[in-house]
Amino acid sequence: MAEPHAEAQHHDSHVGRYWAVWIALLVFTFLTFGLSRLHIPGGWGVVVALAIAATKGGLVALFFMHLWDQRGANRLVFLTSLVFVALLCALTIADNATRFPLANPPGSEVPRSQSTTPIGLPERAP
Amino acid sequence: MPAESAAAMSHVAHHFENAEKQRTAARLGMWLFLATEVLLFTALFAAYGVYRYLYTSTFSEASRHIETWIGLTNTVVLVTSSFTVAIGLHFATRGKGRLTALFFGLSVLLALVFLGFKAVEYTHHFQEGQLPGRFYTYPEVQGAGASLFFTLYFLITGLHGIHVVIGMTILTVVGVLAFLGKYSPAYHTPVELAGLYWHLVDLIWIFVFPLIYLI
Repeated sequence: MAEPHAEAQHHDSHVGRYWAVWIALLVFTFLTFGLSRLHIPGGWGVVVALAIAATKGGLVALFFMHLWDQRGANRLVFLTSLVFVALLCALTIADNATRFPLANPPGSEVPRSQSTTPIGLPERAP
Repeated sequence: MPAESAAAMSHVAHHFENAEKQRTAARLGMWLFLATEVLLFTALFAAYGVYRYLYTSTFSEASRHIETWIGLTNTVVLVTSSFTVAIGLHFATRGKGRLTALFFGLSVLLALVFLGFKAVEYTHHFQEGQLPGRFYTYPEVQGAGASLFFTLYFLITGLHGIHVVIGMTILTVVGVLAFLGKYSPAYHTPVELAGLYWHLVDLIWIFVFPLIYLI
């Protein structure tokens, strides 16, 4: 069993780490701002911005929130919440992406594939 | 446990075997709470994702009509406040309660700067008619998705702002208690948990910033 003050002693060496993480967070903040000015085409801008945000979030969770030092249950809880974040976001967007286009709200910019006629319904004159 | 004096053990509730188990349980409880907070925001992020998918170009256009420099400044401010909270925890582990209070106070000031910029921003939106739903009257970005962007903008930044206010309150209370010498190297769990909450507020903003301001 770990000695009772193990965690308290752990904190002692963390100040250097906090400085490094803070500087890294500032660098990534200006990096993502700079990259957004480039207007990366083809939807990759979103991917790049979210990748940088995930990196920054990882730094905060691991070092400011001490998940790096606290193995076990706390990590499991946080990772489980991230699994549900992925499920909730991915499945709801996938729902709209795979719908029959006319089921999406009016004015939406989802490409209306070949025909506006619902598949399976007979073509009709207006 | 034999090393712990009776005085140091006074904060341990009777149903915990020792301070370490109580601390571990408190941390786990906080992480469970933070997980529910993450999911609360995820509902809004999922809504944002769906409508961004459906109105991609309108969302990009609308995003260009809010002040990016305010978002950038607020990100720097909030990231720095997270750093000062982390330093505050460091001093709590050394038993330097007054320095903890100083750094938590600094974080609260930074949070006030954050809210100040937010207020400037919201005022601007109100003047321009960049408002949710049927109150949307901004002429420069039109289309079905335009008011949706600002609806989600106000929901996400509003919910986040409420969390900033709650976090400031927690930091203030814990900071005052630290100043009064309530914590010690053996017992500073509230300082740690207050810090965790503040870091989560920062963590969420780290995702809000690119989604709202940059893309």
